[in-house]
Amino acid sequence: MIDLRFYEIWREQIFVEKLINGIGTSILLMILGGIIGFIFGLALATARGSKIRFLRIPSATFIESVRNTPLIVQLFFVCFGLPMIFEYRWPFFASALLALCLNFSAYYAEIIRAGFDNVEYGQSEAARALGLGKNDILAYIVLPQALAKVYPSLVSQFVFLFLTTGIISEVGVEDLTWAGRYIADRNFRDFEVFIVLTIAYALLSVMFRGVLTATGQLVFPWYREK
Amino acid sequence: METCINLNDLNKWFGSFQVLDSINLSISTAEKVVICGPSGSGKSTLIRCVNALEPFQSGSVNVCGISVEKNGRNATDIQRRVGMVFQQFNLFPHLSVLKNCTLAPCRVLGLSDDEAGAKAMHYLERVRIPEQASKYPADLSGGQQQRVAIARALTMEPELMLFDEPTSALDPEVVTEVLDTMVDLAETGMTMICVTHEMGFAKQVADRVVFMDEGKIIEIATPEKFFSEPTHERTQFFLSRVLG
Ligand SMILES: Nc1ncnc2c1ncn2[C@@H]1O[C@H](COP(=O)(O)OP(=O)(O)O)[C@@H](O)[C@H]1O
Ligand SMILES: [Mg+2]
Repeated sequence: MIDLRFYEIWREQIFVEKLINGIGTSILLMILGGIIGFIFGLALATARGSKIRFLRIPSATFIESVRNTPLIVQLFFVCFGLPMIFEYRWPFFASALLALCLNFSAYYAEIIRAGFDNVEYGQSEAARALGLGKNDILAYIVLPQALAKVYPSLVSQFVFLFLTTGIISEVGVEDLTWAGRYIADRNFRDFEVFIVLTIAYALLSVMFRGVLTATGQLVFPWYREK
Repeated sequence: METCINLNDLNKWFGSFQVLDSINLSISTAEKVVICGPSGSGKSTLIRCVNALEPFQSGSVNVCGISVEKNGRNATDIQRRVGMVFQQFNLFPHLSVLKNCTLAPCRVLGLSDDEAGAKAMHYLERVRIPEQASKYPADLSGGQQQRVAIARALTMEPELMLFDEPTSALDPEVVTEVLDTMVDLAETGMTMICVTHEMGFAKQVADRVVFMDEGKIIEIATPEKFFSEPTHERTQFFLSRVLG
């Protein structure tokens, strides 16, 4: 029988502090990354569906580049590559956040685009017949229906992306995974730390999913599954 | 009589298939015209050309004194003046009944929410469902949804109304409530083009009945003449099928 000593984690106040900070950082990154990534994703989806080639081709290229390369490579590129090319210095948190936003936006864009494609043609036609212009039709008719249709997929994607964010500890962002490593490096209780991290990630996932699903019911009260 | 719609030698192709073949039709203000004909004869395409939902290749379409451009460049100018009701209602599922009616008046005509709301309630009363104003379309019956669709079009205060088989998707028991609404509307003097196979409605309301087949207008007549002594064989055949 393995001898589990969880108290080795709680014993040191610094460990508990790092853990709590890590959870806070992970949540903050997800909330900011989720919101900003969603807004970028919306813009990308619109651009990719556009008739204008100057918008469509760059957005498609960006989306495919992100979806076909590992997050860790993107992370290093944004945290070290870009600052070297353009000669700027950002805190790791900001760089990592930017990398996550870009990564999320590509995945969201593809989901949102599927939503656009699924809004019945009769909807925009009825809107045109009322004299509404292109932008109004997109903003008031197509977009809300597209988002409602793909909302559950967006939530799943969000939770999935959350579970991949541990990778940002590689560039020194003090998130939950980083806190786990910090503790295990000092108390050598890798297994206990691993269990605590797993439970923390699982609880946070369930929490995110619950909050987002409830939000969806508030935002799309009219939506009926077909 | 003042002309409201004038179609002159209108031709339209989908690829190499000619959907509309030299259509000539002139409709006066306050006139009611019923268009009928077999499925695929081009009825929907014809009225969709009237409100610039479809581009066309040759001929001219004049609506409310505006010449519709072939490529649809001035489409919204036409569309704000022409109301349309679809077979599948096409209500906006994410907006309440009231919002369905107020969106276009607010965005297109620049009315305030209050002005548009008052106007919408006026027309919802006209179609006799003001009490449903705060519901979502999915919570209404088909007949109610179609009446909302009529109110939604009317809230834009259009100069004419187009109906594309407005009762074809309805359960038989609610067809009457929609037809009654259309009869009421006709009595207010609205110019109307209705694609419908409801021959009772045609007899009661239409000034003229247009029969189409294979993209052509085959016959135009008053309802009395159309039903009692149709001149063309194809019309006779069609009527024998529709009237049973
Ligand atoms: N977007 C389209 N592309 C190609 N063919 C079409 C399109 N819309 C309609 N058609 C064809 O045009 C013909 C007339 O269609 P429509 O106007 O809808 O007829 P109706 O309303 O009289 O049933 C039909 O044969 C139909 O298949
Ligand atoms: Mg049709």
